[in-house]
Amino acid sequence: MLLVAGSLTEPGLPPSPTPQLVPDPLSTTGYQRAVELGGLLRASLNSVLVAVLAVPLSVLVAALAGFALARLAPRTTTVVVAASLVALMVPATALLVPRFAIFRFLGLTDTLVPLIAPALLGTSPLYVLVYYLAFRAVPADLYDACLVADLSPLRTWWRVALPLVRPVTAGITALTFVLTWSNFLDPLIYVYDRDLFTLPLALRSLSLLDPTNFPVFLAGAVLATVPALVVFALAQRRFLRPDD
Amino acid sequence: MSGLTLAGVSAAYRDATVLHEVDLAARPGELLVVLGPSGAGKSTVLRVVAGLEPATTGRVHIAGRDVTDLRPGLRNVSMVFQSYALFPHLSVAENIAFGLEVRDVPRRTARERARAAAETVGCAGLLGRRPGQLSGGERQRVALARALVREPDVFLLDEPLSNLDLTLRVEMRAELRALHDRLGATMVHVTHDQTEALVLADRIAVLRDGRVEQVGTPEQIWRTPASTFVARFVGSPAMNLLPADAAVCRTGDAPPLPEQPLEVGFRPEAVTLDAAEGTPATVDRVEVIGEDAYAYLTLAAGHRVVARVPAARRPARDESVRVGVRWADAHLFHADSGRRYVP
Amino acid sequence: MTASRPAPRIRPDTRARRQHLLMLAPYLVGLVGLMLLPALVTLALAFTEYDLLRPPTWVGLDNLTALVDDPIFRVALLNSLVFAVVAVPLRVLVALGLALLLHRRAPGVGTARTATLLPTAVPEIAYGLLWLWLFNPLYGPINQLLRLGGEHGLTVLGRTPPPWLTDPTSARAGIILMSLFTMGETFVVLLAARRALPRDVYEMAALEDATGWDVFRRITLPLMAPVLALLAVRDAIASLHFTFVPAFVVTDGGPPPYATTYLSLFVYQTGFEYLRYGYAAAATLVMMLLTVAALLVQWRLIRRYRRFYQV
Repeated sequence: MLLVAGSLTEPGLPPSPTPQLVPDPLSTTGYQRAVELGGLLRASLNSVLVAVLAVPLSVLVAALAGFALARLAPRTTTVVVAASLVALMVPATALLVPRFAIFRFLGLTDTLVPLIAPALLGTSPLYVLVYYLAFRAVPADLYDACLVADLSPLRTWWRVALPLVRPVTAGITALTFVLTWSNFLDPLIYVYDRDLFTLPLALRSLSLLDPTNFPVFLAGAVLATVPALVVFALAQRRFLRPDD
Repeated sequence: MSGLTLAGVSAAYRDATVLHEVDLAARPGELLVVLGPSGAGKSTVLRVVAGLEPATTGRVHIAGRDVTDLRPGLRNVSMVFQSYALFPHLSVAENIAFGLEVRDVPRRTARERARAAAETVGCAGLLGRRPGQLSGGERQRVALARALVREPDVFLLDEPLSNLDLTLRVEMRAELRALHDRLGATMVHVTHDQTEALVLADRIAVLRDGRVEQVGTPEQIWRTPASTFVARFVGSPAMNLLPADAAVCRTGDAPPLPEQPLEVGFRPEAVTLDAAEGTPATVDRVEVIGEDAYAYLTLAAGHRVVARVPAARRPARDESVRVGVRWADAHLFHADSGRRYVP
Repeated sequence: MTASRPAPRIRPDTRARRQHLLMLAPYLVGLVGLMLLPALVTLALAFTEYDLLRPPTWVGLDNLTALVDDPIFRVALLNSLVFAVVAVPLRVLVALGLALLLHRRAPGVGTARTATLLPTAVPEIAYGLLWLWLFNPLYGPINQLLRLGGEHGLTVLGRTPPPWLTDPTSARAGIILMSLFTMGETFVVLLAARRALPRDVYEMAALEDATGWDVFRRITLPLMAPVLALLAVRDAIASLHFTFVPAFVVTDGGPPPYATTYLSLFVYQTGFEYLRYGYAAAATLVMMLLTVAALLVQWRLIRRYRRFYQV
């Protein structure tokens, strides 16, 4: 059992930046060169910019939509939930070409807009559905009490419903961040200007380096991984806790 | 003053009608208890009054205002839910002040009124706590304070005592009645517990399958039940009900029965087991509850009857007794409709 | 009382309904704009030739017939299907094994769960780079490990270690191996499913002195079968997508002849490298049809289990 766990731990942990199993000459040159060569600094800023815009927007969209679904008439809800389930099943690659055609038509390629746009979907319909389930699990009496107190839906959402699902929001925010931060496919397709490269895309240009430069691109990989892992590790404590 | 009137109100859930043209009124300052078995539509009455469910026909008036088409927040009612519906993320003080603050009452005023309301129901010591840290009875008090802080025209209470254990329920029942007397407010209280209804109410409305079966004071409901349903629902064990021509010994002043199919109802208290000319019966089983005992009997003709006797003088099982019914305490109902027979 | 105009007969909930719809609106825009519309565009583009420079021209079924004859497409389709058939059951099995191991409370279980989930959180590209290094035949730790104890660059058994990314078979195996560690989502769902199983059934089995294998075969497996089946279908659909980055970064579709060119990579290359958008859309259409087929299977599974459990 420990063996399995141990073997799995290995690839997940930040890899050592040297080719040996035990890093012999421990050096940070890999990191320095990674930053210089790959323009990682600039790319990090872009990634941060995208995340700062997309993550709050995405969580907001998902939370609002999930709440509306939980409160609307069953017929409306059924249609939207079914559509979301189907959308959830469509592999992202299947929509590459048409989405690209649409963004090109709108003149938005080679900007960061297509990278932020998925926030309108709540990044993944899954998160909307999770919010929907969470808001539906709030006792109906609480919503009725809000009605009697003459709270508008928006204020009910903000003052009562949202505070009640705080753990859900924490988890979804973290996952949204990880997904947005790791997004590789979208930048690959929409962004050509090196100044707009996000971190994953910049890493890819590192991967085209000579194979002897492993330390360099592994250093880059570590840099890109750390924020995602930190956020994820913090969040997973939350969504694995209820059953402990 | 602020009363409440329902005129011909119907309501539906999905495709099923759950209220059939209900006419009901609570006079200003009255405590009206809506009593009925589960599924009778009691809660729906409250929810229609609050505006949480739409009325498909009829009008609802609160304090002389037609509120049928107003949204809940504009009806000036407050509601105590069976689950209390306290907001778990807010403190007790915030819970009580909630209805005021969202109506943009200045924060300080809201807090002062919340404190006053808390003192009225005796939960002022809990203001800083969260609902999760309270016992059932304490939550009940907070829910009451939240309802009365807004000084509504009508209080709606949806089985507020049903989640408490028996001792606490009895205690809160008395407090609720005292609170009502102090405030002089109009209250509509829903319950399925007939004892609660008899103890609390100024008047009781008995509901059955979405229709009002009888409205009256507890005394009227007890002494002159309008139907076999009311007769059997109020009182425990339930009233005995036999065909009026069943062979049973009538004691006391017993006028001749009218010539039509009738049923006779009499409470266990009206049965005696040692009547001289009594109908023979055997004792099936005996339940002793403190000073009282209930004897479950089968009459010679096969009818079953319950009798209340002092525990000290209870019969033994399988013993033969002679049953008499004090006819002055018996009720006659039409056999077909179940309505009370009025000579 | 003063006589007033009759209040306009408005259902009390219209205002609330309007506000709720407003709250739903952004998501609906996203759903339509980023899902529905693209799906329709695919349908339209699939029958055109389009290179972004000139307006699309209608070519009818030419794209689809060309696809059937296109050897690369056929290889890609086959690769994708093989991947789904081999990797998906393996992924679900690994996830199931771990979920069964880690569903109890025990020291270290929390850490082990975190460890299981972490690879899923690593950015795909970084994960790809990591494996590019791991797989490197000369410098890669995997082969370094395999060479331990051997001489002259051979393994202990005296065989050459696999030239991971340059040989078609081992490249395919490599991609599958990579994918085995990123089953975090499936693991989480299975963990929850296992914990939801009734405890008394297991206590009953313990009273009957059932062995671990019997318990697994007769109780755990049948009870979890519905979840497993659904997860497998879902994973199969997702595999159309998550083969992209490994194939793109680690093997670049190679080694020849297109050993790791999957449908996703094929679509990308056709569209964004050769600028044949219409043709790529046609391939996308095939991908969507596969998805629909999988969804139908899933739907039937759900219905069957519904009937079975009478829910």
